[in-house]
Amino acid sequence: MNSAERRRAMAFKRFYAEYQRLILGMVSVVGMMLLWELAFTYVIPLNPFFFTKPSLIAEAFKQQIVSGSLWHDVAISSKAFLLGFGLAVVVGIPIGVFMGWRRRAEYTLDPFLTALYASPLVALAPLLIIIFGVGLTGKVALIFLLSVFPFIFNVFAGVKCTDRLLVNVVRSFGGREKDIYFKVILPSIMPYIVAGARIAIGRGIVGILVTEFYAASEGIGFAISRFGDTYRLPDMFAAIMVLMIVAVGLTEGLRKLETLVAPWKVGQEAR
Amino acid sequence: MVPCIEARSLTLTFTPKNRDPVTALQGFDLQVSKGEFLSLVGPSGCGKSTFLNVLLGLLKPDSGELSLNGKQIDGPGQERAMVFQEFGLLPWRTVLANVELGLELKGVAPSIRHERALDLIKLVGLERFQNHYPHELSGGMKQRVGLARALATEPEVLLMDEPFAALDAQTRDLMQTELLQIWERTKKTVLFVTHSIEEAAYLSDRVVIMTARPGRMKNVFKIDLPRPRDYEMRLTPEFNDIKAKIWNTLKDELSGKAAGNGI
Repeated sequence: MNSAERRRAMAFKRFYAEYQRLILGMVSVVGMMLLWELAFTYVIPLNPFFFTKPSLIAEAFKQQIVSGSLWHDVAISSKAFLLGFGLAVVVGIPIGVFMGWRRRAEYTLDPFLTALYASPLVALAPLLIIIFGVGLTGKVALIFLLSVFPFIFNVFAGVKCTDRLLVNVVRSFGGREKDIYFKVILPSIMPYIVAGARIAIGRGIVGILVTEFYAASEGIGFAISRFGDTYRLPDMFAAIMVLMIVAVGLTEGLRKLETLVAPWKVGQEAR
Repeated sequence: MVPCIEARSLTLTFTPKNRDPVTALQGFDLQVSKGEFLSLVGPSGCGKSTFLNVLLGLLKPDSGELSLNGKQIDGPGQERAMVFQEFGLLPWRTVLANVELGLELKGVAPSIRHERALDLIKLVGLERFQNHYPHELSGGMKQRVGLARALATEPEVLLMDEPFAALDAQTRDLMQTELLQIWERTKKTVLFVTHSIEEAAYLSDRVVIMTARPGRMKNVFKIDLPRPRDYEMRLTPEFNDIKAKIWNTLKDELSGKAAGNGI
């Protein structure tokens, strides 16, 4: 081996070490797809009424993109999701902080909120649609209801874990209640907020699907149920895949956000 | 010498939930002169830290009087700052932002507190680490940040609650000597709580021995060793005599406490 070759081999090794996670992850996804495709092409006879395979899904996906129907459905559902989720952030975090810091608030709200968190709130979907109608408001209401609790309870737990020493430090330098909220509690619950958001995303997506399955004329959930009803399985899978991609994208985004809002936490974990 | 801190018959009892009340301080008296370096030594749980927290204004005594420059202490104030045993650095703030904390809470303008914080970071020798986060620092460096933060608000009295207890022996020796240098330059009044007789004797003008719980003053030793002191001094027979004397007084409290606990 001459030195140029050796250098190239070294560079490859370094590249692999750096991107190992990504490379192996991609290998597993692509491998699964290949297996699925090959199994239904050569081994198992494909009954298109019951199942489908990646090449057909890809074709359906392309057509939906070209026709623009996909963008429309995604936009409709995203709007509901963003509104409901945003509302959950804005309402859930203050309630969680309040419950965590004020014992009376905890004792008063806890039984009520725990009961709601534990119960299958999707059961309220019909009621919410009766109250708010088939459009945006009903969807937002259910998404909000489903995704607000992870924020409340994670923030609550985060506030409970706030380091008392740091509170005393801020007090000892003359900090007031407001300073304790903004200089100690809020920064220290950031990782808890992100963890709550991760759960809330899943629940919020369930919220979209349930309302759109149940009563809607557009949106990604509506598309899935309509394709299912008409046995257009490749189209249905294409829509499901879009949901998956969005969910993965959001979760990954949160992971990035976590290193951004809590670099010290990431640093500690790396040790 | 001008009296700076005066505690008269302080009593404080904690009442933990579902447990018997604990009297941490009972009839505690103490006078500290301006510019004095005073250490409090005593068995664990004798109320040393409790006293510092009362002095800091985080705890209120049940009875007794505590004044600073003749004024009753009622809550935290900028004439006092604490260096905490477990550092108490905000993990989401850089060294610089941590040192600025006290000034920020006082409402000092950003540019001024910046400059002041940088001066103190230089004083404790951390200028290369001003943008590091606490988790990137060693224990000794963290406590330097704690010291810089306390000094940044220009307090008259520096309270130190076992500040070097969490450090390894060598770092500890180093920090003690540096603390002495800083003290000699800034001439603060220092109240220093420690378990280490050696540390107390090395640093202090006076060492106060406290009784086992409930804490009262048992004995006071004046340390007449010349200043500035350095590490060599700790090897002299005079220093060892003082240590032995302090140990003899403290011993009874430790054994008394052990007997009381049935150990």
